Amino acid sequence: MNIQDNYLKNKKNIFFTENENVENHREILIKIFENDRFDKKNNESLKNVNLKNFLDFNYKYLVPEETSVINNNNDNSYSIVSVNGQCTSFKDDKIEITKILDEDYNDFSKNDTIEKNDHFVNLNSLFLNSGFKIIIKKNNNIKIKISNIITDDDLTIFQKNNYICEEGSSLNLIEEYENKNNSTSNILNVIKLEKNSQLNHFLIQDNAPNHNLIITTHSSCKKDSIYNQKVYNFSEGYVRNFHYSELIETNSEADLQGIFFLKDNNTSNNKTFVKHLAENCKSNQVYKGILNDRSKATYFSNTHVDQVAQKTEGYQLSKGILLSDNASYFSKPELKIYADDVKCSHGSTIGPIDENAIFYIRSRGMSKIAATKILISSFINEELSSINDEQMAEIIQKKLVRYLSKVK
Amino acid sequence: MFLEIKDLSVKIENKNILKGLNLNINKGEVHAIMGPNGCGKSTLANVLAGKEDYEILNGKINFKNNDLFDLNIEERAQEGMFLAFQYPVEIPGVNITPFLHSAINSKRKRMNEEEIDNLSFAKLLKSKASDLGINIDMLKRSVNTGFSGGEKKRYEILQMSILNPDLAILDETDSGLDIDALKIVTNGVNKLKTKDNSFLIITHYQKLLDYIKPDYVHVMVNGSIVKSGGSEIAAEIEKDGFQKFQ
Ligand SMILES: Nc1ncnc2c1ncn2[C@@H]1O[C@H](COP(=O)(O)OP(=O)(O)OP(=O)(O)O)[C@@H](O)[C@H]1O
Ligand SMILES: [Mg+2]
Repeated sequence: MNIQDNYLKNKKNIFFTENENVENHREILIKIFENDRFDKKNNESLKNVNLKNFLDFNYKYLVPEETSVINNNNDNSYSIVSVNGQCTSFKDDKIEITKILDEDYNDFSKNDTIEKNDHFVNLNSLFLNSGFKIIIKKNNNIKIKISNIITDDDLTIFQKNNYICEEGSSLNLIEEYENKNNSTSNILNVIKLEKNSQLNHFLIQDNAPNHNLIITTHSSCKKDSIYNQKVYNFSEGYVRNFHYSELIETNSEADLQGIFFLKDNNTSNNKTFVKHLAENCKSNQVYKGILNDRSKATYFSNTHVDQVAQKTEGYQLSKGILLSDNASYFSKPELKIYADDVKCSHGSTIGPIDENAIFYIRSRGMSKIAATKILISSFINEELSSINDEQMAEIIQKKLVRYLSKVK
Repeated sequence: MFLEIKDLSVKIENKNILKGLNLNINKGEVHAIMGPNGCGKSTLANVLAGKEDYEILNGKINFKNNDLFDLNIEERAQEGMFLAFQYPVEIPGVNITPFLHSAINSKRKRMNEEEIDNLSFAKLLKSKASDLGINIDMLKRSVNTGFSGGEKKRYEILQMSILNPDLAILDETDSGLDIDALKIVTNGVNKLKTKDNSFLIITHYQKLLDYIKPDYVHVMVNGSIVKSGGSEIAAEIEKDGFQKFQ
């Protein structure tokens, strides 16, 4: 079935089909699908993607019976269980949670940072069936943990979430994706950071082999705001992490980091993109990967510095360890600079584990496997030791131990 | 025999490096090897430690009644072999203290000895470090990372004194050490020396042998040992170089 028929057939449980602007936008998206030649070479969103599964999928959505729960553990900490992409509404003097609205859809459809031919994002808009909006109110400092649950096999979740951090607010957001069933989540997070706000966003991804996770983030930072994102991908299923940041006012910062741990036939596609649109902003894009067996990864990093964005500091780094001759990691850093007073750099080092270091460690009496594990842990030591949330550090450590236990 | 190397020939990347080398070391002996740059001294040390890049063309090595080639790298270390590297490897992100702690415990495990706990190990490490004039703060750092040339050498000797090997191979441990450090390090070696362990010392300088008295000095040229004798050979080399051995 082609995309259009699929859409028309399932229209009754897709969001905002009554809204004219939304529908107009969707018509454009359908045209894009019709006219695209799906040129894998020149479309980053198609690298390592099985086109048939992707274009011809069975749409299935279930509205969750039990709406998700919000626990107000203490004054500043919230736990959310998002079921099939939905979350119950909630309001107190610090935060407000509602369903996603058609105006949010329309607002985002005007953004042009994400390429028009990112087909996964287009599918998300077209088949949107879930999502929520969270507002962190002015000057509040809070912590939210979201567990993302999918209830049934074969579900296709198309979810858009909006986060708004109002002026002076600070949010620690921990998201867990640990799905065991055979399903697909296509999630788009749209994040707005107002003046002087900060969001520390942790994404822990640990899905079973049959679960596909396509997650895209678009954050925009106003004056003096900071967006920190840390992705830990331990999934055995396919994961796509595409994360975009726009620094739209002065003195703002974006830090996009990720670590992925791959084995077997697993694939992970990654992209970070920072657009510097104002003076005196900083950005950091660092991805590290450990690849075993026949696993595959791609990482595209991009820094775009607009001509007004003087005094930009932009840093990109990609590092990878290949534990097997059959693993592959393709990495492509890109810099587009239209201002003259900027400090930008990029680097990439991908290769097998350092044999001299292995020899050195073994010559002290440790086994080859122990030496390999020591070197893998040290490869990400900096990232792990900088996690300042104790609970998080423990979770990540456990998953790392599990990954290492499979390294032979 | 403690270590017996018989007619050893080794090549790497189509280049013959060791050519029919013979060397016997008994328990309690100190042997020194001197030889020009590139003659194969480090190659010999690496082959003994088990580095896998080399192709063994011929020869036999017996170590403590084992065919050495039956033991892999870590088994050799656990059996009591220790190589102080000419160029110690930097391993960023691996902290010295837990690293050495695992090292000593993997050896103890093989020897069916009880593992040493955190506290006792910390004590041991501290006392050995202070014997070698190593600042305690250094023990919080990553293995060899950012160490000066001399610090790396000192740290190799610290590892040696912790692991207490039966056969220690020191590959140019004296290079890069200032005169005070040389005294401290050689003092450390002498302290460790008993009638039951042996040393193979690779050096370019007679000076080292003033501090550690070798029982034998061997001259290695072009991949084999061309002359063996006592300390007087070192003095000869110091005076006339290797010309007449070639
Ligand atoms: N991986 C390699 N590929 C090719 N040649 C090598 C390799 N490793 C060592 N060699 C060569 O083997 C020879 C012996 O090297 P080795 O390091 O054993 O010398 P050495 O006696 O320790 O010298 P030095 O006194 O300078 O430390 C040298 O000519 C060196 O270039
Ligand atoms: Mg050498």
